[in-house]
Amino acid sequence: MLERRPGWWIAAIYATALVVVALAVGPAIWLVLGAFQPAGGDVGDPVSSLVLGVEGDGADRQRATLENFGAAWGGGDLARPLINSVIVTAARTTLGVLLAALAAYPLARMSFAGRRILFLVILATTMIPEQVIVVPMFKIASGLGLFDSLAGAVIPFAVSAFGVFLCMQAFEQVPHELEEAARMDGASTLRIWWNVMLPLSAPTLATLALFSIIGAWSDLLWPLVILQSESNFTLPVKINEMLGLFSTNPRVAYAASVLALLPIIAFFLIMQHWLRPSLFAGAVKG
Amino acid sequence: MLPALAVLGVFLIGSAAQVVYYSLGSYNPFTDTYEFVGGANYARLMGDGVFWRARANAVLYLLVTPVLIVLSLVCALIVDSRVKGSPLLRLLFFLPVVTPTIVAAVAWRLLLNEESGLLNAGLSVLGLPGANWLTTHPFTLISAMLVTLWKGFGFYMMVFLAALVAVPRELKEAAAIDGAGRMGTFLNVTLPTLRPTIVLVSIISSISALKVFDELFVTVRGVPPEQQTVVPLVYSLAFERNDFGLACAAGLTLFVVILAFSLLNLWITRRAGGRDA
Repeated sequence: MLERRPGWWIAAIYATALVVVALAVGPAIWLVLGAFQPAGGDVGDPVSSLVLGVEGDGADRQRATLENFGAAWGGGDLARPLINSVIVTAARTTLGVLLAALAAYPLARMSFAGRRILFLVILATTMIPEQVIVVPMFKIASGLGLFDSLAGAVIPFAVSAFGVFLCMQAFEQVPHELEEAARMDGASTLRIWWNVMLPLSAPTLATLALFSIIGAWSDLLWPLVILQSESNFTLPVKINEMLGLFSTNPRVAYAASVLALLPIIAFFLIMQHWLRPSLFAGAVKG
Repeated sequence: MLPALAVLGVFLIGSAAQVVYYSLGSYNPFTDTYEFVGGANYARLMGDGVFWRARANAVLYLLVTPVLIVLSLVCALIVDSRVKGSPLLRLLFFLPVVTPTIVAAVAWRLLLNEESGLLNAGLSVLGLPGANWLTTHPFTLISAMLVTLWKGFGFYMMVFLAALVAVPRELKEAAAIDGAGRMGTFLNVTLPTLRPTIVLVSIISSISALKVFDELFVTVRGVPPEQQTVVPLVYSLAFERNDFGLACAAGLTLFVVILAFSLLNLWITRRAGGRDA
């Protein structure tokens, strides 16, 4: 650093950071504590009942319990929604990355009639919010026999224009010479796409996958609309239902929420290497 | 690229065309009959107090944007200051982004609990009266905005971080040599460089705020639609009252507003020479 920073300045930075960290992590910690809280304590105040005790000296605190998790897992039948969420998230991400990369290749690298129009059409779809067209989308998906099926939760969102643009940007960075060299060696277009373009765009594809997984795991509106039977529910739809069912003991829904949170946090911590600010610059320009 | 086009074509463009069609008709999902009614749905909307209240709430909801920008910019500056542990800070600030919205909403329901939640407890320590955060308008809106804020600031922090890298170091040095203080350097060098990003982030986060659904639907469960914003109203009209026509008309009025924001965004991005088409 070129500037010398006085100690009070560093202290101020840390103090602010601490406040924000408390804000960022606090609610999740509250939720976890709430999930371990036995029945009887105040629902909104797991810290008093688990840590401090009502008097504040810890004397009469309650013991943390796994009961809520048991009730959520057994009584709420969480195994099925968990599997469904994994399937939907994996399918949406795999299809999303592959299809976006497939569509982006000709758009980025070939000249053909209507290329510019296609580009503009895809660009236009970024401006159509899912929330506005959810009603006819529900009609179309139902008409295709997708109502109340996992495929119905996957297919309409298998491609995003945003993903196409992200891939286009990445492909445009690949040197033309590499493509030509491969072509001289007799590689087909599909081979070039697979062996040259995709590996060289790996960081972008990984980022796209990361965004897609986070989005699909969290998605509520569309699964809520298209899925009807319990056996097809994804985790968010299930938790939404549990909030209603267990309204007298919401701790069960808290336990289910913790179970929905753990896999995605674990996944994120593994993938955090791909969390690069530069990739977010493109995300907002799309 | 055909499969991609097919999906986009059928679901997005097909739905977009149909939303107009339904908005001009009266559709009965039980008998699958459609009757053209022209602008009747729009006329009903315009005369509907519930719709106007939902719109007014949607405008109120936009207040989350300035708070979001300030908070995410502060976080970006903290991480960019490269104090010890800043990579860890960046990771922690980003955790809420990864959290599924419904989980975030459930967590905040604990904090906002009206009898024993932390927020009301804190207010009473300060001698202030608590509020019915989960049931009474407009506190319900504030509650959902808190969840939006919590879920969003880490994302926009990353966007600002990307922009901060672009602040020319020589300019900062020059300012320091000229005797500008830390604040002066920030106001005269950093902030002007960030201006295009701030504009972009305000547009993007405004669009998200206009489209909000999950936060309201879960955080303030069961609150009547007139106390929520437009998307929950669309959902309730379509899937609770089975009035597809009115729901589509309401959705389209929202789309017009969002489109204006999107075009503004596109225009600014192009003008800034961000990306070529």
